Amino acid sequence: MKNKKSMSAERLYKIFIYVALITLAISIIVPVVWVFMASVKHNSEFYGSPWTIPASIQFSNFVNAFEKANMGQYFINSVIATGLGLIILLVVALPASYVLARFEFRGRKFMNTAMMAGLFINVNYIVVPIFLMLLGWDDFIYNLFGDGFFLDNIFVLALVYAATAIPFTVYLLSGYFRTLPKAYEEAALIDGCGYFKTMFKVMIPMAKPSIVTVILFNFLAFWNEYIIALTLMPGTSKTLPVGLMNLMQAARGKAEYGMMYAGLVIVMLPTLILYIMVQKKLTQGMTLGGLKD
Amino acid sequence: MNKKKEKRRFIAVCLAPAIILFTVFMIIPTLNVFWMSTLKWGGLSANKEFVGLNNFKILFEDMNFIQALQNTIFLIVVVTIVTMVFSILFASILVREKVKGQNFFRIIFYIPNILSVVVIASIFTAIYDPSTNGLLNSIESLFRPETWETTKYLGDPNIMLYAISGAMIWQAIGYYMVMYMASMSSIPEHLYEAASLEGAGKIKQFFSITLPLIWSNIRTTLTFFIISCINLSFLFVKVFGSGPGGVSETVLSYMYKQAYSNASYGYGMAIGVIIFLFSFVLSALVSKATEREPLEF
Amino acid sequence: MKKLLSVCMVGLMTLSLAACGSGDSGSDEKVLKISGLDGGYGTKGWEEVVKVFEEQNDVKVELTLEKNISETLRPVLTSGQDVPDLVYLSLGAEGRLTDTMVAEKQIADISDVLEMTVPGEDVTVEEKILPGFTEALTSSPYGDGNMYLAPINYGPCGLFFNAGLFEEKGWEVPTTWDEMWELGDKAKAEGIALFTYPTTGYFDAFFSALLNVTAGSETYTELMNYDTEAWESDEVKQAFEIVSKLATYTEENTVANANKESFTKNQQLILDNEALFIPNGTWLPGEMADAPKVEGFEWGFTALPKVGAEGDAYSTAFVEQVYIPSDAENQELAKEFIAFMYSDEAASLFYKYGAPKTDADNNIIEDEYNPGAVMPITTASTKIMSEGDANILFYSVYDNGAKSNPVGFVFKDTVEGVDLTSAEGILYGTVNEVVNGTKTVAEWHASVIEAVKKYND
Repeated sequence: MKNKKSMSAERLYKIFIYVALITLAISIIVPVVWVFMASVKHNSEFYGSPWTIPASIQFSNFVNAFEKANMGQYFINSVIATGLGLIILLVVALPASYVLARFEFRGRKFMNTAMMAGLFINVNYIVVPIFLMLLGWDDFIYNLFGDGFFLDNIFVLALVYAATAIPFTVYLLSGYFRTLPKAYEEAALIDGCGYFKTMFKVMIPMAKPSIVTVILFNFLAFWNEYIIALTLMPGTSKTLPVGLMNLMQAARGKAEYGMMYAGLVIVMLPTLILYIMVQKKLTQGMTLGGLKD
Repeated sequence: MNKKKEKRRFIAVCLAPAIILFTVFMIIPTLNVFWMSTLKWGGLSANKEFVGLNNFKILFEDMNFIQALQNTIFLIVVVTIVTMVFSILFASILVREKVKGQNFFRIIFYIPNILSVVVIASIFTAIYDPSTNGLLNSIESLFRPETWETTKYLGDPNIMLYAISGAMIWQAIGYYMVMYMASMSSIPEHLYEAASLEGAGKIKQFFSITLPLIWSNIRTTLTFFIISCINLSFLFVKVFGSGPGGVSETVLSYMYKQAYSNASYGYGMAIGVIIFLFSFVLSALVSKATEREPLEF
Repeated sequence: MKKLLSVCMVGLMTLSLAACGSGDSGSDEKVLKISGLDGGYGTKGWEEVVKVFEEQNDVKVELTLEKNISETLRPVLTSGQDVPDLVYLSLGAEGRLTDTMVAEKQIADISDVLEMTVPGEDVTVEEKILPGFTEALTSSPYGDGNMYLAPINYGPCGLFFNAGLFEEKGWEVPTTWDEMWELGDKAKAEGIALFTYPTTGYFDAFFSALLNVTAGSETYTELMNYDTEAWESDEVKQAFEIVSKLATYTEENTVANANKESFTKNQQLILDNEALFIPNGTWLPGEMADAPKVEGFEWGFTALPKVGAEGDAYSTAFVEQVYIPSDAENQELAKEFIAFMYSDEAASLFYKYGAPKTDADNNIIEDEYNPGAVMPITTASTKIMSEGDANILFYSVYDNGAKSNPVGFVFKDTVEGVDLTSAEGILYGTVNEVVNGTKTVAEWHASVIEAVKKYND
């Protein structure tokens, strides 16, 4: 009798779990599929109910996005800015995180606090000061060499991306380094490895899950970044999100919905692919807040 | 002796690039923001006038700003609480229960986090559509066909802020769920087994084992919540507008409006300074308030 | 040098900087840089005008037209380097960059353009421009009689409706507000709302015309000069009250869709016979060209009704502007270009080449264009438009007795935290709240007066 009752309670509980999980899953899948569908819809199909299945498949939306809205060129720019930004970020942040996590030295506490405070700096208000600073540098070398360098330069954009991501990345990576057992690096040091060798050969490979997480997070951030790219690249060379915004701003012209959603898909697809590729590693790398201090 | 020198050199070499980049592109611009907040300046010309703390004086009497600050706090509180409850719940289900398609759910739930806000905004425009075409409104009409009147999610001042919270929560659940899953899955199984033997039910186990052991993780995510709520709400407001009477205006969107649309760049930067101090102090307070003796296992 | 610097920067950046858009330099050829909005009229008209100007003057013109120009141009103007010689972006446009340029006094005085002879013609620019436009606050924002912004692309704003529906029901287009309310009740009985609006941003044109209707053009000038007493007058109060009455006749979903993402849904209401009138400009038919329409749909357009039989009807003459930033290098050449814009030749090209026509599948039809912008010149209705032109419907509104009024306040120093005139500002943005019922008309009026007072302090 008692057993039976707990069985049905168990069952109810299971049903509840599935209902909750499936509801959330549907609320995510439906809209995402909807965006894909909308990207092949005909312009006239956007005025009625948004939930209809496309009457025919308009690949011309994508062709238009690439040709008319120049998304191809912007795509390449975004790949460069994101890729280079990630490389610079890892080169700079990995050693710093390692040292901050595993070494005792004067000023360490201060550094940690400064990095922590850096988390609260919002790019939305520092972007113009950064722009003015680069402008000043440009003025200076313009006088010397007759050409600007820092603005409208995709490499500088990547560098700024990397710089603004440092606090969060260092925070995440050093959190992970702290969880690694001391024994490995002690053994390596005793074996006669220098500090650099220990870091590169032993510690960084061990931090791989966390590095994957950092790459994914920052890929998403850089790839979708809008405000810095807009401000630091005032010329004709743009990144994908800036191009997309241009596409979306209907201004007073008629909005080209099909092309707009095609643009959305172009921006979205790489992030989806990368995510599916690395999703397994994601949970491993997210150990935060020093669980095993 | 040599060893010590070598170690010092190693530390310096490792830290220097990060410190340089961080200082040049974050610290110095932030100090500049503080400086600009003391100017009366439109942002485009060389006509800058030093006005001391006058911008802050105006700011504290500016009811629009106070409303924006209230809205931001509201969003931080609501989004944090709801997201946290759901993401911890889903995380513990996916980690602790034998659920079919566990991986599938884990992968799907994270997807909103990788979409750009532009995509999410256009999705939610269709969901919140005030006509019968809207997803939510067509569902509502099934339940009360008689007295049915469409709900104006993005026009009704009493609802709009909740509607924006809804979009933010939807976007954030997966992200935090994965974070909580990461730390939950590192809790050793034997703790649960022991509790089970002592006759503790699932709910008891959750409160006496899971929650205390992921506590430090939860504290960390609170900081993330504060930072991301400020940023994200701004992006949504940018698309949906600030609503009738600015019911959904947030501090960042108000900063933009003043700095750019109202030709008051210095004033906008004063708002920026307040945002920085506000988020910093708030997380410090939250962190202090949630401090517990760390539990070991 | 570039190479050396890049090595210094980061080891990775060794190769040449492909993305660095320094452009061609070194030649002595004069280059006129024009930046502007890729708006409802498309880019073809500009391209054609630029081509003719290049040929006639043996110069090169760099034309950049973008939809998000107010965002991309802001950093350039801040830097003061490589600033465009001519900017095509209107006051009040999204981002309010031009308004900021006015506030920062970064626009060159171009009064002398008025004295210039229009290229290829024997009239001066001043004689060629329709009367009233150059003195308006949209061209002379400081009220000092000098012109800073050149008026281009004018069009009447007013109320759009489905003329087919009026014919079918036997309704008359109201000429007074009393008739308007009568019609509103009739329509309500048939389940049609009287009024809707795309966003509150469209109230600049609508409300300006309404203020002229109730208070007359003299008081209107005082209002635009931030005269507190004028704002407190009964005639002005009447305009506020008309809006609040109109609010009760407004379609219920309007406020929820009155944002950047969904404003076309409000415009769609007219095409679906869900609402009767919408305030808008001449670009509306083009904007909604692809949208499905009820059977027998036909665009109708009217000025704002008068109060009582004695009053005047008004239709806001909406104009866009071009201007020369003070930091621009080739100001003289830019002025020549402005003068050229007012020639019949350029005006015909602007009008001939509007947004490209599209077929039913939304493919662009080659070499076919919708009518484009109309320059505010004396020959606009005689030489530029031909008979039978669909656009005559709009431009004839002034021939049918409606008076024209400008939009825009005189320039005042910015007041931190006070936003009177933007789409979400106190004067127009509050309309959403009045329609919602969260604010009364008295509260709205009071907050406008309070804001006006702050500008006078």
